[in-house]
Amino acid sequence: MIDLLAYLLITIALIFMALGVIGLFRFKDFYSRILISAKIETVGFLTIMIGFTILSGLSYAAMKILLITLMVMITNPLSTHAIARSAFLSGYPINQEPRR
Amino acid sequence: MTFLETALFVIAIYIALVLVRVILGPTIWDRLLGLNAISAKIIMSIVIFSIITEQPYLLDVALVYALLGFIGTVLIARFIEKKGDIS
Repeated sequence: MIDLLAYLLITIALIFMALGVIGLFRFKDFYSRILISAKIETVGFLTIMIGFTILSGLSYAAMKILLITLMVMITNPLSTHAIARSAFLSGYPINQEPRR
Repeated sequence: MTFLETALFVIAIYIALVLVRVILGPTIWDRLLGLNAISAKIIMSIVIFSIITEQPYLLDVALVYALLGFIGTVLIARFIEKKGDIS
């Protein structure tokens, strides 16, 4: 039963990542692209890691996976912010009209 | 193929698709964003591989890779922003 829940979570996370990759190609503007892909990337990563934690049961491996999830949850938004900040400060134009 | 091997295969397809964005990306920051996404996917594939082969010491590799990927991305972003002089 528990493994079924883990497999379900992993499938949901793979669907999230598929949406993230589609978002990476669909949006024409850089800023909307980075917003979408970074957010869905983090959510997909969190979901798939929770699925792995459940799959590997109560063991040191599960604790290690939770540590990796914590590390990536902290660093992923920071690195995305650094990319967007360097794009903005280097003068990449933000076009005002809503992109289709 | 078991479920985890198909998950690993699907993540490999995602890496290939994001690689297309890295190659096509008009600006440097698109490429940096793609590399950041690829490193996150590589961490997932390392964890899947360590679960498939039941070798828990591989998870340390994923942890070190996550931190180094973060440092590398931030360094490149600052390097581009400061146009070369990091000091």
